[in-house]
Amino acid sequence: MTISQELLDILACPKCKGDIYLNETKDGLICDRCKLLYEIKDDIPIMLIDEAKPIET
Amino acid sequence: MKALVTGAAGFIGSHLSEYLIAKGLRVVGIDSFMDYYPRSMKESNIAGIIRDQHYEFIEGSLLEVDLSRLLAGVDVVFHQAAQAGVRASWGRSFKVYTDNNILATQMLLEACKESPVEKFIYASSSSVYGDTKDLPMRESSLPCPVSPYGVSKLAAEHLSCLYHRNFAIPAVSLRYFTVYGARQRPDMAFHRFLRWALEGSALQIYGDGRQSRDFTHVDDIVEANWLALEKGQPGEVFNIGGGSRVTLNEVVEMIKTMVGRELEVHYEGVQKGDVRHTFADMTKAEKKLGYRPKVPIQDGLQREYEWIQSLVK
Repeated sequence: MTISQELLDILACPKCKGDIYLNETKDGLICDRCKLLYEIKDDIPIMLIDEAKPIET
Repeated sequence: MKALVTGAAGFIGSHLSEYLIAKGLRVVGIDSFMDYYPRSMKESNIAGIIRDQHYEFIEGSLLEVDLSRLLAGVDVVFHQAAQAGVRASWGRSFKVYTDNNILATQMLLEACKESPVEKFIYASSSSVYGDTKDLPMRESSLPCPVSPYGVSKLAAEHLSCLYHRNFAIPAVSLRYFTVYGARQRPDMAFHRFLRWALEGSALQIYGDGRQSRDFTHVDDIVEANWLALEKGQPGEVFNIGGGSRVTLNEVVEMIKTMVGRELEVHYEGVQKGDVRHTFADMTKAEKKLGYRPKVPIQDGLQREYEWIQSLVK
């Protein structure tokens, strides 16, 4: 199970407040601007800057 | 109707979320899982609703998330999130209290200016009264907190009133009196006493045990929040007590009866920030909200005892 569209609609990157989107594996939310991944664990999006993982480019 | 519950994985926030879902509301819960007590306890608090189709949960901090998006479509805010702990609020850790209790509340109130809600219910605390000898405590009494925690809760309560007066945010504050029940935080007296009693350890009491509290069961707190949504006049503050003012020594006697044996009790020094007595005058809550506590202390304590038993096993 992944997170709902309703929840996705109210989420933003906590760092830049910009848009985020679900990654292909649907276990994280990506902010392109900050190049950060916010993991989804047990259906809970973890929207904490300190917990975000940098995305390798 | 859609509700935002802050501190949703906490003791009160999780009970409140369940209640609201049962009432037919859609609930968005947010919690930052601050490390004041184990994360696993908070995870188990929301385990029963995390997959409910009417519930969405976000792990996030009110200080970081985009609050205007979070409030999109929200009709009512139940602001339960706070850094708890009277004794831990001294010293360098006070910044945690100013950030999470005062600043986070101000940011949420600011966001409500752009995203209007029908009601903003703020979880205040009896700690705003301090060590008054003027009992029972009335909403009209001059608040004089004796802990930095109490100062932070009072500041946020005043902010709620200010935002009502200046920006018509429909804020209602509920001053909770010593809340107990299943899922109570592990640092709170009943939780510690019951756990020690079950483990066969001596009970530690700060002070002489003759200090009294107006203990309030979490079910009554949840009910009060619902009544505040329905009937709470914006800008108003209400005492929410349990109608059971007892001393800690009397609580120990009740626990002895429950476990069916004598208990060893050690009395420790009084902790800075602790008040001697709390006792809510609930005339206003009864008259204006129709609030009347329903859970007597013996029943509520027995229910918390059964919950602690399930944890200790």
